[in-house]
Amino acid sequence: MKQTVVIREMEACHMDCSYTLDLIHHEVKYCQGCWNCWLKTPGRCVYKDLDTFYNRYVAADEVVILAKVVKGFVSANMKSLFDRMIPLFLPYVDVSTGESRHIPRYPKYPDIKFYYEGSFITDEGKQVFEAYIYRTFDQFASKQITVKPIESI
Amino acid sequence: METIILNGSPRGNNGNSEIFIRQFLKGMRTHCDVKYMNKENPEELASHVKKYDTIIMVLPLYIHSMPGMVMRFIEHLEPSAVHSKQAIGFILQCGFTESSQCKYVERYFSCLAKELNRTYLGTVIKGEAAGVYMLPKFMTKKLFTLLNQLGEMYDQTHTFDRRVMEKLQQPYVLTGFTLKFMQFTTKLGANKIMWHRFLKKNDAFHKKLDQPFA
Repeated sequence: MKQTVVIREMEACHMDCSYTLDLIHHEVKYCQGCWNCWLKTPGRCVYKDLDTFYNRYVAADEVVILAKVVKGFVSANMKSLFDRMIPLFLPYVDVSTGESRHIPRYPKYPDIKFYYEGSFITDEGKQVFEAYIYRTFDQFASKQITVKPIESI
Repeated sequence: METIILNGSPRGNNGNSEIFIRQFLKGMRTHCDVKYMNKENPEELASHVKKYDTIIMVLPLYIHSMPGMVMRFIEHLEPSAVHSKQAIGFILQCGFTESSQCKYVERYFSCLAKELNRTYLGTVIKGEAAGVYMLPKFMTKKLFTLLNQLGEMYDQTHTFDRRVMEKLQQPYVLTGFTLKFMQFTTKLGANKIMWHRFLKKNDAFHKKLDQPFA
């Protein structure tokens, strides 16, 4: 059966999923930039609050993200989650595609469906936001990435 | 004209952003207040900065943009009054060699300035900066001179000097010799030497490829 993980910043209708990370009630600790997850305890963050999430994320076929737009960007809580995903990758950088990319630690990563709620003051703001989300999950080695406003689903 | 410099590194005064701030200030004659986001309450800090004409954020790149801690502060920033002539600028340093990795957040900062009703001074970008704190003096000389010049020009003109910015952001993309050289060293594994040195020192070398959550 397809394994789906949901990450949400808003109340959502029921979805069949193997795990939900509820960012309304869980405040993700900030990445401290200590590099312990690369150099002291490879693959493990000094904080343990996301251990179950890491486990389910790398096992998932698909991750559905329901995000709120804050000041034209992802929220601080969502951004901290992105920052804290660096233990899932190696410190080494590969340049075979012509730009620097971190090498994956795990054999596969889930496809991403990123749906956002909120508005932008300019069309450019919307483009910048979507381009950023694509780039982030491209760096996170996801193959299929969808980024859409929530009202389009 | 009063400027506040905000250190947006989760490592606070113990990281590369702090080195960038010290070198920028070295070029300035006018006094500048400096605050550390990792030591402040984000809401109170957002209120405190209202009285300054200009905010300069100095920060590291985390996952193609600002650290979560900096976004928390941005969440609390309120737009300036119309015609206030307040400004905002950013100095961003990243570990990747090519500074184009910063283009997503650079475009965002430009949009944010609009949303905050502040004049956008620009984003100064420096790649290959993760190791600045451990480099010997002769290897940081060029970078520090450019940061001194940036501070000096800012003090005189209240702008980021485009020529200095241009120099700091080289290489923007990996091309030609730089790319060939990096592809060659990657093939040899030379790019791993520094990481392996740290891993060995921490007695973690044998665990370097661990997959604890598989």
